[in-house]
Amino acid sequence: MKTKKAKPTLSTQPKLDLCQVHKADYATPKKPVLLDIGTACYLAVRGQGRPGGDVFQARIGALYAMAFTVKMTRKFAGLRDYAVCKLEAQYFFVGDPCGIPMDEWRWKLLIRTPDFVKQDDLDRAVATLLKKGKDQDVKEVVLETLIEGRCVQMLHVGPYDREGETIAVMKSFADSRGLKFAGPHHEIYLSDPRRVAPEKLKTILREPVTPA
Amino acid sequence: MTAGPSRATTLRDYKERLLRVLVVIQQQLDEPLRLEDLAARACLSPHHFHRVFTGLTGETLMGHIRRLRLERAAGRLKLSRWPVVQVALEAGYETHEAFSRAFKAGFGLSPSEYRAQRSADGRLPARCGIHYRDGGALRDFKTLRCGDRAMNGILKQVAPMRVAFMRHVGPYDQVHETWDGFCMFLGKEGLLGGGARFLGICHDDPDVTPPDKIRYDACVTVDDRFRPQGEIGVQVIPGGEYAMATHFGPYAKLGESYRRLVGQWLPRSGRELASSPCFEEYLNSPETTAPKDLITDIYVPLASQRP
Repeated sequence: MKTKKAKPTLSTQPKLDLCQVHKADYATPKKPVLLDIGTACYLAVRGQGRPGGDVFQARIGALYAMAFTVKMTRKFAGLRDYAVCKLEAQYFFVGDPCGIPMDEWRWKLLIRTPDFVKQDDLDRAVATLLKKGKDQDVKEVVLETLIEGRCVQMLHVGPYDREGETIAVMKSFADSRGLKFAGPHHEIYLSDPRRVAPEKLKTILREPVTPA
Repeated sequence: MTAGPSRATTLRDYKERLLRVLVVIQQQLDEPLRLEDLAARACLSPHHFHRVFTGLTGETLMGHIRRLRLERAAGRLKLSRWPVVQVALEAGYETHEAFSRAFKAGFGLSPSEYRAQRSADGRLPARCGIHYRDGGALRDFKTLRCGDRAMNGILKQVAPMRVAFMRHVGPYDQVHETWDGFCMFLGKEGLLGGGARFLGICHDDPDVTPPDKIRYDACVTVDDRFRPQGEIGVQVIPGGEYAMATHFGPYAKLGESYRRLVGQWLPRSGRELASSPCFEEYLNSPETTAPKDLITDIYVPLASQRP
């Protein structure tokens, strides 16, 4: 018997690009600025280990697998299309990161996602991915809402291991305004480290602040 | 007994082969020249011939032929009493006007002004230094220098890659439409992300093939369990040695990087091209990346070296 093939019904709404809609959140100033970051939804996955190490890369793979599967499943169903945003990460340090071995670094990888994406979408995507034999890591991906509020933000150009220099500039800027870093440290990766030379890598650094 | 050193294919070899082609072009300037025949004379696959040609001479094949015809026409204006319209027809132009326009664009004078000038150079600017010569005797030409815009090609051993693909036939700048449908299908099946690579196989050179006939395969790496379905097929990108270079910037300018890699870097590398098609790997997403920040690796297949 011939079965009828599912045909996609394309949504007539324009594709949503959150980076464009929230352009102010993705400012890339060469000097520190103060920003107010509103509520933002993300696909998120936590982990511990050296940034760029095996666990980190596996979790990036799981996060993107979820991001693409959720998006494309919705698109195929005729729901509103949106762009998969760039990778971001939060780092959780108690005290000075210089004193913590990189293998013990705790982080959360993030991809900003429209708020119309719901837990059901994630559940379906996990089922699809596990059926395809993808790594169990996809089950660790969750929906999260961040409200970072007042932040100091600045563009860091250069290798990741020299972010300290940019953070120092941001810190003295915060100090001069009677503010202190409240954590967690947040970064947004604008460049691809596989092909872009370390000294040219561009990363947005963001530090939530509170009155000192 | 020890085997002798393997003989590298040098820039000189490429030049000699291209010279054979350049002679044929001069001798048969009025014949319809087929790319396949010219490629065969140069012992190059039609896939790559045109890129080697433009890379070494700095002109497209058609641009080269048009220029030589105009130079010949300039000579005829000076040395014969042919009416301009006859010179135009002999130069391959269908109308006097089209010829005059092309002539003026090249020489800065209309054909009749040119004829009236006492001294006039019958040559148009050409970086390869080749100009029209009656009889087609050519001994050498200047290859385009790599200069500052040299392409940093590297040799890369590539493992065979099994890919799901969707064929696109049409202008290269419309492949995103094919990608759109292809990604939606693979994405909803859970086949994107988690290490899947995004590749494109270019079966035709957009510099040579008419836009509506360009064949391009949008590809995503898949494991052995994936089966072809509907418009989506499966193929294996052959493993082996490739010349690889990274293109930074808009996809519309990929052709320039291919020309530099195939036409300039390769002839100086000592290696020979294989006849299989080139492929490219897209490292970031055009959806969220400004065209100037797009990163694409381009791969050109190399023939295995003979001992």
